[in-house]
Amino acid sequence: MKLTIYGSRDFWAGLMLIGFGVLAVLIARDYPFGTTLRMGPGYFPSVLGGLLILGGLWVVVKGLRSGEQIEGSWSLRALIVVPLSLVLFGFLMERAGFIPALAVLILGSAAAGTEFNFVEVALLTLFLVALCVVVFIWGLGLPYPLFAEF
Amino acid sequence: MSDRRSLMLSAAGMLLALTTTVAAQDYPTKPVRLIIPFPPGGSNDVVGRLIATQLSERLGKQVVVDNRGGAGGTIGTEIASGTTPDGYTLLVISIAHAVGPALYPIKYDPIKSFTPVSILATGPNVLAVNPKVPVNSVKELVELAKKKPGELFYASAGVGSFQHLSGELFKLMAGVNVVHVPFKGGGPSMIDVIAGNSQYVLSSLIQTTPHIKSGKLKALGTSGTKRSPVLPDVPTIAEGGVHGYEATNWWGIVAPAGTPPAIVAKLHKELAAVQDSPEIQKQFATQGASTVKMSSEEFAKFIGQELAKWGRVVKDANIRP
Amino acid sequence: MDLFDNLLFGFGVAFSLQNLIYCFIGVLLGTLIGVLPGIGPLATIAMLLPLTFNVGPVAALIMLAGIYYGAQYGGSTTAILVNLPGETSAVVTCIDGHQMARQGRAGPALAIAAIGSFFAGTVGTLLIALFGPPLAEMALKFASPEYFSLMLMGLVAAAVLAQGDMVKSLAMVVLGLLLGIVGSDVNTGIPRFSFGMAELTDGIGFIVIAVGVFAVGEIVTNLGEPTERRFLTAKIATLFPTREDLRRSLWPILRGTGIGAFFGVLPGTGPAIASFSSYMVEKKLAADPSRFGRGAIEGVAGPESANNADAQCKFIPMLTLGLPASGVMALMLGALTIQGIQPGPQVMTQKPDLFWGLVASMWIGNLMLVVLNLPLIGVWVRLLKVPYRLLFPAIMAFSAIGIYSVNNSPFEIYLTAAFGILGFLWIKLGFSPAPLLLGFVLGPMMEENLRRAMLTSHGNAAVFVTRPLSLAFIVATVLILLVMIAPAVRRRRDAITD
Repeated sequence: MKLTIYGSRDFWAGLMLIGFGVLAVLIARDYPFGTTLRMGPGYFPSVLGGLLILGGLWVVVKGLRSGEQIEGSWSLRALIVVPLSLVLFGFLMERAGFIPALAVLILGSAAAGTEFNFVEVALLTLFLVALCVVVFIWGLGLPYPLFAEF
Repeated sequence: MSDRRSLMLSAAGMLLALTTTVAAQDYPTKPVRLIIPFPPGGSNDVVGRLIATQLSERLGKQVVVDNRGGAGGTIGTEIASGTTPDGYTLLVISIAHAVGPALYPIKYDPIKSFTPVSILATGPNVLAVNPKVPVNSVKELVELAKKKPGELFYASAGVGSFQHLSGELFKLMAGVNVVHVPFKGGGPSMIDVIAGNSQYVLSSLIQTTPHIKSGKLKALGTSGTKRSPVLPDVPTIAEGGVHGYEATNWWGIVAPAGTPPAIVAKLHKELAAVQDSPEIQKQFATQGASTVKMSSEEFAKFIGQELAKWGRVVKDANIRP
Repeated sequence: MDLFDNLLFGFGVAFSLQNLIYCFIGVLLGTLIGVLPGIGPLATIAMLLPLTFNVGPVAALIMLAGIYYGAQYGGSTTAILVNLPGETSAVVTCIDGHQMARQGRAGPALAIAAIGSFFAGTVGTLLIALFGPPLAEMALKFASPEYFSLMLMGLVAAAVLAQGDMVKSLAMVVLGLLLGIVGSDVNTGIPRFSFGMAELTDGIGFIVIAVGVFAVGEIVTNLGEPTERRFLTAKIATLFPTREDLRRSLWPILRGTGIGAFFGVLPGTGPAIASFSSYMVEKKLAADPSRFGRGAIEGVAGPESANNADAQCKFIPMLTLGLPASGVMALMLGALTIQGIQPGPQVMTQKPDLFWGLVASMWIGNLMLVVLNLPLIGVWVRLLKVPYRLLFPAIMAFSAIGIYSVNNSPFEIYLTAAFGILGFLWIKLGFSPAPLLLGFVLGPMMEENLRRAMLTSHGNAAVFVTRPLSLAFIVATVLILLVMIAPAVRRRRDAITD
């Protein structure tokens, strides 16, 4: 494996921390800072943001020196499809009802995997939807319409 | 707009009116959603659930409670304002409805977006001090606060909470400078006063009465215009020296604007019957509240007055989130 | 003996058929909602409250209490099996509990969690019966300076959670503190980091971050790995703890119970601090701290006992003073009031059947939970044999419903998806998420108490050292820091404990 800055784990880790830190400090500038004795709402976040930036710098330097690489492989498909199916669930709960939203979520997240077998996933969806209706709607009495019409 | 179009529109309007009258007769034909703009557990939730159970029985269709908490009740209220005005969505409102617009950015009109249905009940707060504070009346507390400006503390359930607003109104009307110590919720603020860290709190009767009876707190006054039947020996704050002081919580039901009047009238009638049921009377009494009746029009006027009153308190007390 | 008579009387009340049934329904329902992420005891109790109006106060309270501590048991099951903390108190259990599951030792982990919780529950019940009122009075001595100093001490525990890189772990704590700041500032009401979104003015829910990072982030990471490297591969060795496991767990359970009881009595602390502190203590006292984070049974036994003792002792301020220590307790107080009972010190004398019946039923409920959970271990462990490709959509489904049910808010679902992506990045970049959650839970309480202390002391920072209790915690914090910073000191200390 080639050791590059692009694959350096701590380089990116540190950058991310610095990013969050800078963001926090910038946003916190809109809030009254106060003094150490009379702290305003901007005091705590500014101090924390500063700490994050310092920690981030440390981690960046460490990453550049050790060159430790990001481990393992990852799947762009999973990274997009899993959160997306969750978003669809939220979107559909109000507009389409409990059963469609849940079915989309289960089908969608199952499709994010590499071992997608349609029959198996369809059965899984049926089973889980039935289980959730029994447990959550009938059992715990959550007030969601099964389909968008009440 | 052409004549033909306006004709069509008015015809459509008549048709709509006709269908809604018919709709009102057999309303409801499906479950009714009751939005409570607070998470489960608070006074709004308790009131809403009480009403939902009873109203279900009277309407013959399930009234489903839907908690939509967040941002001082404004999130759930906004959701309700955007629903179809067909009588199948109702909203529980309280004094928070009159305070929210002054404190949060809202995308609805607290008056125009809703059709008032019924007020349900009102419940005063009680001004309670730690027993070690050397005062025995509202007047003495005001004198003490004037003698020690900025040295006394009062606890509240949080910035913008009813405890906070009634406390600020008290400060404004009594002309005293007391430091506000906000907590997260009514439990912690009461603990702080019992422990003696803050001197007083203005909190609901249901939460405070047990501690008054056990002697851990001393009641100086109640915040209504009349004495509370729960604490008949305790004068009102107005009687106690802060003339004209009133800060009473209230709960009511509204529907999105445009809900057919026939349905509103039917709901108003059923809610009145619910209010009269001994079960509800008892439950409100244990909460230190009592049922109130107003016509839908009176309720609308009342909401407007409350909005004006608390909007002014938020401004005068400089509560700016 | 008075106590004996009272307890006997209590058991007489609790052993009525009706009360036993309500107790059983309560713990069963509690276990169920505990296992499901997102649906917490607060929402469940609120939903069930109207149903309890007609059953009488004793039975109602027994059932509601059963839900509450049943949820604690159930929460640890999900934490151990699928590394998903449904409640703040279960975050710590994930660290070693899930590692044990991965090594095929889910059985012993679940068993020791149940046993530890039962022991802690028993002690907690006795404490309520014996010392309820004086303990509650002691709790009133805590004001914001004490709470701040105490939480500072708790935050130092974060460093102990560090696995690998200390700086990165501490950075995660700081990031957690920042996330905890999102929402209305308690002191001024100004919404911070809310980006103008009304949904963020109440802050980010714990469950959103926990599910986002631990469930969604983890799933995205796992799906990127080759199939054979995913999740559990180790064979299930044994269902029940070995003699060695029990020997290792004995002291952690005892210490965890003590720690949990201490924090439980204090109304201003959340459930997370007790379990974090217990974990810190166990790791510090261990002969070989490197086992922690890799499936040390002490890391399950201690925190699980601590959080159950904490949960039981939260009843002390509620029952003896009528002061709610948490949202759940406030609801139970509400339930009592609706039943026409004025909570407070007089409950013990005026309603002895309620007080002693509840105390006795708590113990019975804990016993039921052990009896219920030990046989269930076999079922749970078998669940681990379900192939991952079938398991993860189920985790997604349960988590999504759970989060949605908190506020019926699609926004929180979107937020969870965002934290899923962040969680994936964090895992890939070598951050451990547990310190993040600790910071998230403690941060807001720390800032709130710090600023309240400054407000009520008129800006005099000396309050933290002039008040004796606060000073004691500050000194303890400094000592802990010294022990951690100076490895030489630590080595000598370990030699002594050996």
